[in-house]
Amino acid sequence: MTWFEDFVVGDRWRHARGTTVGEVESQLLTKLVLNTAQAHFNEHAMTGSPMGDGRLVFGLVTGSIVIGLATQDTAEHAVAEVGLTDVRFTSPVHLGDTLYALTEVLAVEEAGPDAGQVRFRHWGINQQDQVVFEGVRTVLVKRRPV
Amino acid sequence: MSELDLRSFPIRRRGNAFEEFTIGRRFEHHWGRTITAGDNAAFTTVTHAYNPLYLNAEQARAEGHPDVVVNPMLVLCTVVGLSVEDLSEGGGPFLGIDDLTFHRPVHPGDTLTASSTVVEARDSASRPNTGIVTWHTEAHNQRSELVLDYRRTNLVAKRS
Repeated sequence: MTWFEDFVVGDRWRHARGTTVGEVESQLLTKLVLNTAQAHFNEHAMTGSPMGDGRLVFGLVTGSIVIGLATQDTAEHAVAEVGLTDVRFTSPVHLGDTLYALTEVLAVEEAGPDAGQVRFRHWGINQQDQVVFEGVRTVLVKRRPV
Repeated sequence: MSELDLRSFPIRRRGNAFEEFTIGRRFEHHWGRTITAGDNAAFTTVTHAYNPLYLNAEQARAEGHPDVVVNPMLVLCTVVGLSVEDLSEGGGPFLGIDDLTFHRPVHPGDTLTASSTVVEARDSASRPNTGIVTWHTEAHNQRSELVLDYRRTNLVAKRS
């Protein structure tokens, strides 16, 4: 379960589902948010690129998918997302790569009668188990209703 | 009249080089973006962000919101997107984000605008044609309320 009381410091999970970053995940989301960098949507320009052949996935599309894949297990009963820090994009992600998400509970802190803050470290890995994303995320989570 | 040579047309280039990022320089980013319910549903479902506040308006209203809550990662992606032409379209990988705070919720129909200030700019030790730049970015809604702020760091290509 995913109420505040359920999170224990040191808990670690690999989340159940992965997702392959196709045109919908990469191009749709990049263009929806007005990211104008053509490294994310011009295959011709990226052929033979020093970052590896082909289009690169926008780092925050990677980050949003990794946090998304972790959301059911971490924020199904969230009141609000509070913040993010130490976000690092450690390897490039290319169109067609597959992402998986992993999480560790770093801290839990009481925040009044109805909710508490939980701090998670997340990792995103690709189909070769290379870390492509990491970050620390704080979420305000409801207590279990009495 | 010379023959038409389409390859001779000069490119209208976009983006800034490392030399443009002097400490303290502020950029008011272009356009703004009104976030729609459709944006939020598309982004949230494509990223598997199964928090009912983003997907179920009845539940969001029961918890005191006027409508569904816009997924904060969509807010972040949009604010970074608005800033790309000024900050990072000139080339160089996205290194990271620090000290990000989501100050208040965004709801469908809200309009986001963004601005950034250069807080750090230094040469890259390993890549002579590249620098490392950190910006502080703030985003506001249509009521001029602070929605989000963070520090973002990129490698940025130098002019030559």
